[in-house]
Amino acid sequence: MKIPIDVIPERAGHLEVVEIPACDRRTLPGVVSQRACLLYGARWMLAAIRDAVHLIHGPVGCAYYSGTVRKKNYRVFSTALGEKEIVFGAGQKLEDAIREAVSLRPRSSAVLVYTTCAVGLIGEDVEAICKRASASLGLPVVPVNCPGFGGVSQGKGHDVAAAALLEHFIGRAPAGPPLENSVNILGEFDVQGDLKEIEQLLQRLGLNIICAVSGRATVENMARAHRAGLNIVHCGRTGRWLARKMEERFGIPWRKVSFFGLAETAAALQAIAAFFNRPREAAWVEKEAEASRQRALPYLRRLAGRRVALFFGASRMGSMARAFGELGMEVVLCGSQFGCREDYTESRCCLGRGTPMIDDAHQRELEEFLHRYRPDLLVGGTRERFMAHKMGIPFLVFPQETSPYAGFNGFVNLAREVAALVGAPVWRLGNNGFMREEGEEMVASKYSVKPL
Amino acid sequence: MQLKEIPVTGIPYDQIKIEKVPAAPEYCERPAELIPSANRAVVINPNRTCMPLGAMWAVLGVRKAIPFVQGAQGCTTYVRYTFCRIFKEPAVIATASFHEDAAVFGGRRNLVEGIRNLVVRYWPELIGVVTTCSSEIIGDDMVSFIKMARANLRKEIGPEKADRIPIVLVNTPSFAGSHVEGYDRASRAFVETLATTKGEPNGKVNIIPGLFYPGDIREIKHLLRHMGVEAIVLFDISDTLDAPLEPPMSVPYYPPGGTAVGEIRDMANSLATFALQPHAGQAGARYLERKYGVRAVVGPPPVGVQGTDAFLKALREITGKPIPKSLLQERGRLVDSLADTLHHTMMKKVAIMGDPDIVLGVTRFVLEMGMEPVALAGGTASKTFVHDVEAILAEAGYEGEPPLIINGGDLFEFEEYLKKQPRLDLIIGNSRAVDISRELQVPLVRVGFPIYDRFGYQKRPIVGYRGGEMLLAEIVNSMLDYQYPDDRTQQL
Repeated sequence: MKIPIDVIPERAGHLEVVEIPACDRRTLPGVVSQRACLLYGARWMLAAIRDAVHLIHGPVGCAYYSGTVRKKNYRVFSTALGEKEIVFGAGQKLEDAIREAVSLRPRSSAVLVYTTCAVGLIGEDVEAICKRASASLGLPVVPVNCPGFGGVSQGKGHDVAAAALLEHFIGRAPAGPPLENSVNILGEFDVQGDLKEIEQLLQRLGLNIICAVSGRATVENMARAHRAGLNIVHCGRTGRWLARKMEERFGIPWRKVSFFGLAETAAALQAIAAFFNRPREAAWVEKEAEASRQRALPYLRRLAGRRVALFFGASRMGSMARAFGELGMEVVLCGSQFGCREDYTESRCCLGRGTPMIDDAHQRELEEFLHRYRPDLLVGGTRERFMAHKMGIPFLVFPQETSPYAGFNGFVNLAREVAALVGAPVWRLGNNGFMREEGEEMVASKYSVKPL
Repeated sequence: MQLKEIPVTGIPYDQIKIEKVPAAPEYCERPAELIPSANRAVVINPNRTCMPLGAMWAVLGVRKAIPFVQGAQGCTTYVRYTFCRIFKEPAVIATASFHEDAAVFGGRRNLVEGIRNLVVRYWPELIGVVTTCSSEIIGDDMVSFIKMARANLRKEIGPEKADRIPIVLVNTPSFAGSHVEGYDRASRAFVETLATTKGEPNGKVNIIPGLFYPGDIREIKHLLRHMGVEAIVLFDISDTLDAPLEPPMSVPYYPPGGTAVGEIRDMANSLATFALQPHAGQAGARYLERKYGVRAVVGPPPVGVQGTDAFLKALREITGKPIPKSLLQERGRLVDSLADTLHHTMMKKVAIMGDPDIVLGVTRFVLEMGMEPVALAGGTASKTFVHDVEAILAEAGYEGEPPLIINGGDLFEFEEYLKKQPRLDLIIGNSRAVDISRELQVPLVRVGFPIYDRFGYQKRPIVGYRGGEMLLAEIVNSMLDYQYPDDRTQQL
């Protein structure tokens, strides 16, 4: 089968139509990569821990950008390194900064110290400083070693963050018997209320969430996390490793599930109910799924046969591809910035041969794909959004900006929003302006958008 | 007015609203000695970002130019994300993708390979190489790397094609200065690299707008057009970062507009260079003056009546062209608006934050409205800021309580000071001040970089007389929204 777009020879293998694409490799320099850095990944994972001081140890820019994660604003502390510290060392400044931050925010339960490129290069012993500070302040001061140039992408940042959580926070409370009917959710970030939807469903099964890493993680509830009966892994990239380690350390079993799409949500709930040995309590699940399908039906009719291209972070590829399948849409591209082999294998299963999968696509490749294929929808992050718009292609931001997409309600939201997006007049206005009326041939009219 | 229900199935808004993580669960008295940022090692909510952003902003204003960032991927991603959020436009910026090996062995391979990949993928008309803290700390010898990249490129695509693409180096170590200085350095690097020959005078003026938005640059061009003055706008983002949607387009996609390389080459032959923002663009103007005798006119930002007057007067003086009736009428309309709304604006207490040039421009304008500044926070430390503010206050004959002037401090200091004020009516600043405005229950008028939480501000000017009218309307209306019940706003 033919590779659908031009790729630079050095990137051969990253775009596959049958196989699993090459992944976890370095990005080529000079291409307009969509990837981010270690610090970005670590912030993505840890930003929502609200009872900790987040101290970015590096130049002021890194702190400035770290103030926003998943479209939420956070208060960040920074050592704002200047030339003096770069030359003479930043250790003293870090010590002072930790002490001052805690005295300005006295009710904090921990301090997270993120390192950056600059600190990684000048070679400070951040670990020792944190240890000293921790002893003198009497609260955990945790180094998160995430200089931007480490690893190949932000994925490594997730791993570093997960390791820091496991090492310093998870299960720090005294051991005890498993709390009854309690679960943790690993790899759930509570985007626009997703977690609330999931929680409501779990509550109907009679289950409580101790902590959700990291959409609803606090120093206090992570300390109790080792007393859960089950770990539910939602986002695999961030959750799977943690789940394995927690199984090793505390003997907590885990299940990888997804709450995107009706079938997946239903299967997830049934698996969880089965685990707690109460299949009868999941009797409503099928009915609820069917009811939601009925609610979504008017939108599904409008979406049948439409073509969608997916490009976003790693492990949600597979489950989102299935969810879009349930919308009746055809997935014509599935890609990610930093997927690992496991992620691609998983999503290949629900895609079938012939659907291109792409790893670490850069701007030019995406442009070319959109230009040639003109899918009816591209799903991705903010950086791809405006490129798609310039080409007149509807775009859905994921992680989403409006309403929850997880759970049964979330599926209806997704259907409704996608239908509204794809059918919006603006795309017709963009494509059929005066040019058509005046009989001018458009540059690439053979790729014209399907009329509605 | 708050929406209680989201428009689709699910959870009500008040349960998913954007959470501000407060400094403490409830407000507590801070140790007073730690409030001024000068007394602290820690910076809380910085009011500035790093130099590379300013340089990338500049490069994106050049026609078919792509910034190449010599650093880790995040340095590019974060800035692209920031630009996308502000301008709602794609921002094509290439990264050298530093990994551990670059940190150890230096970034030569990344630059040489990167320039080659960038060229064969995108065929840009100019590449702006922007350094970061990592490449500066490693001590990359960028000048020789660029030579190697050029030699390599000649081998790959032939000397003719390779030499057609200028490469401009902007040194921007992120641990010094701020985005404002990054732009300033870019302005100098571009003229130094490209405007190398003094030839026939071209009768034009150079404009280095600084970190103004596309709408502002359009307004400046409007003023120039009415004056009948031809200009070279260096870093003209008015079209590149506000491009029309007109698919289908060719690949690779380049937005229309931008300053052409030829225009930049011609800048040594102009009558004068206007650096509209003294902190962002002065370096370029001064260089041209020193080297080629092109007169430098630095500031003030053309915001408000006197700011715009100063710009037009300087234009008149340099080009000898009169200020046309049409612009005088625009001026008259702005002054009329000032008079019509004076009863709303006078004696109102205002706090202003942002980049120093924006703060200076806006301060002068609010003094024209009869407002009383309480605190003025410039995010980038500057040698002249405090003096400039004092000069503006003196010029306006301001007799109220002297405002707190924060020169390069953080937002924590600004916020803590405002919390102690007995009265505050308005905050003018960028989106970073949203939390402060919510916490203090004071309206925020958005101005400057960055504005990502509202739409349209990048298209709406604050400069010129017409921009002044828009900013004035925004200021008055936001105070009305906050302070007056509906029945009292029927006849204003």
